[in-house]
Amino acid sequence: MSIFDIIGYILITCGIILSGIGVYGIFRFKNFYSRILVSSKVDTVGFMTIMLGVMFINGLSFFSLKVLLIVIIAVITTPLATHSIARSAYLSGYKIKKGKYYGN
Amino acid sequence: MFVNYALISLIILALAGSLRIVLGPTIWDRLLGLNIFSAKIIMMIVLFSVIMGKPYLLDIAIVYALLGFIGIILIARFIEWRGKI
Repeated sequence: MSIFDIIGYILITCGIILSGIGVYGIFRFKNFYSRILVSSKVDTVGFMTIMLGVMFINGLSFFSLKVLLIVIIAVITTPLATHSIARSAYLSGYKIKKGKYYGN
Repeated sequence: MFVNYALISLIILALAGSLRIVLGPTIWDRLLGLNIFSAKIIMMIVLFSVIMGKPYLLDIAIVYALLGFIGIILIARFIEWRGKI
């Protein structure tokens, strides 16, 4: 259990807690736009934390280089996909009622 | 051994994320659930390749990330333009 493994395990735990918060955010917020904003952002950060933890476990090798490539791809694509979903919802005329759900 | 527990907890989170796909009132909620679910699957593939120790398993995660992205973009545009992409 070298120091890198311990750091990696701590990072993976934080990443799982973060993605758990992201999943919780999906059910916590009532209307669509605040839900998509929060959950995709927190989920991407959780993704990066877990992958950083994996990179720490494997040290300097081609394995962690490939994991870095996955991180770069996912960091670019996930927000783009979320943006296109929200844009499609907004341009299709999905409006939020101004009733009690307007707050969150 | 620790990575196994991480993988199991990710499976539980993925199932919870897919609940939004089932419940989602609008179709965009379902797309959001799909996006979250595919992000979880990519994490699971990477953790599985750490457990197995095989680097070539990571290529599956790369291909899945790109294809999932293209699929979600296509569905979002399909809905937005009501079938006439």
